[in-house]
Amino acid sequence: MPKLTVDSGDVTVDLLEDETILEGLYRNGFAYRVGCRRGGCAICKVDLLQGEVVYNRPVAENVLTESEMAEGTCLTCRAVAVTDVRIALREDNLRRVSSLMALYAATRTG
Amino acid sequence: MAVMRMGYMHVKVTDLAEAKEHYANTVGLYQTLEQDGRVYYKGWDEWDHHSVVIEEGGVGYVKCGFKCEKPEDVADIETKAIAYGYPVARMVAGENPEVGDGIRVTLPSGHQIEFYSQMTAWGLEVGTHNPDAFPRHMVGIGAPRLDHALLWVDDVAGIEKFFMDCVGMWATERVQTSLDDDAHTIATWLTIGESNHDIALLEAPENKIHHFAFEMRGWSDILHAADIFSMDDVPIDIGPTRHGITRGTTIYFFDPAGNRNETFAGGYRCFRDRPTVVWTPDQLGKAIFYHSRELNDRFLTVAT
Repeated sequence: MPKLTVDSGDVTVDLLEDETILEGLYRNGFAYRVGCRRGGCAICKVDLLQGEVVYNRPVAENVLTESEMAEGTCLTCRAVAVTDVRIALREDNLRRVSSLMALYAATRTG
Repeated sequence: MAVMRMGYMHVKVTDLAEAKEHYANTVGLYQTLEQDGRVYYKGWDEWDHHSVVIEEGGVGYVKCGFKCEKPEDVADIETKAIAYGYPVARMVAGENPEVGDGIRVTLPSGHQIEFYSQMTAWGLEVGTHNPDAFPRHMVGIGAPRLDHALLWVDDVAGIEKFFMDCVGMWATERVQTSLDDDAHTIATWLTIGESNHDIALLEAPENKIHHFAFEMRGWSDILHAADIFSMDDVPIDIGPTRHGITRGTTIYFFDPAGNRNETFAGGYRCFRDRPTVVWTPDQLGKAIFYHSRELNDRFLTVAT
């Protein structure tokens, strides 16, 4: 189970198998500025500081270029961590919208 | 009247299989053709061969088409568009499957707009002989028809003038910097018939598509659509709610590639002598989302 650390927020969450970084954060009661959640708008981009991700869907070249990817830009709605990862948000701060969700994040039924 | 309506919208999708699932089973369109990596759809209340085209590879706008009543209308727009200074190319029958001869105008924003007068007839899903009110086994939200699109462009006033002077549209509503006559136009809603808009333009740093919309039969169908989106795990941008602009009821949602779609119902009938409604930027929240009266952080930043 890869661990996701969000830089500057001192937040660490466990990611489930095949779960995107965005899904993992929302499941743990966090939120930040996102757009389509479908890989089309590029709003959820963050900097990948450490670790490796794979993409669970084809990603359009005009949304995330190869050079961006090589330089550590990560499209969180499509990125699935394959190692422990550390990210930094760009223009937004991570908000905790539910401490209950964080408390019970390990319990998942569907 | 030369142009009758927006006839088709053609967009790119990253994953054709997922997009097909969305447009056929969630939006409830009828597939009429799959050819060369493109899939063609129509709504149940449309009679032409297709109104939505999806194509695998990337995301965002490819082009849209407006259907004219007669070939002479297309020729008239061609003459006027050339005089207006926009690049115009001829397209021949079959270039778009089941679509006749026409022209392709390239806006300064790069958007390609096609005008044509003939498309293979397919027929209403309810038929035209003693028809029922809707198809008995409607799928998903059962979107009846394509309605309009909102494009992001860098020069709203110039492109608005093209649609008015060359295509015969007029503005039902505008967002402008002030109520003065010389105010700068930030956005415009343009119509050709009696609907609130067939195309809208919003000033933006990039030339993209903000959304394309399906016309629903009413508010109860909008609510039902939102329920279906939850069942199908479709990301909703906002809604169900009402727009101040057009008074239409709405949901914005995203297809599996991230293209924004809308379900739209209501609004008011528009006649050419109706005065244009003007909104000012301080009221933009209410103008766009009439109930929350504030913009979410996606509406003006997300486009494909």
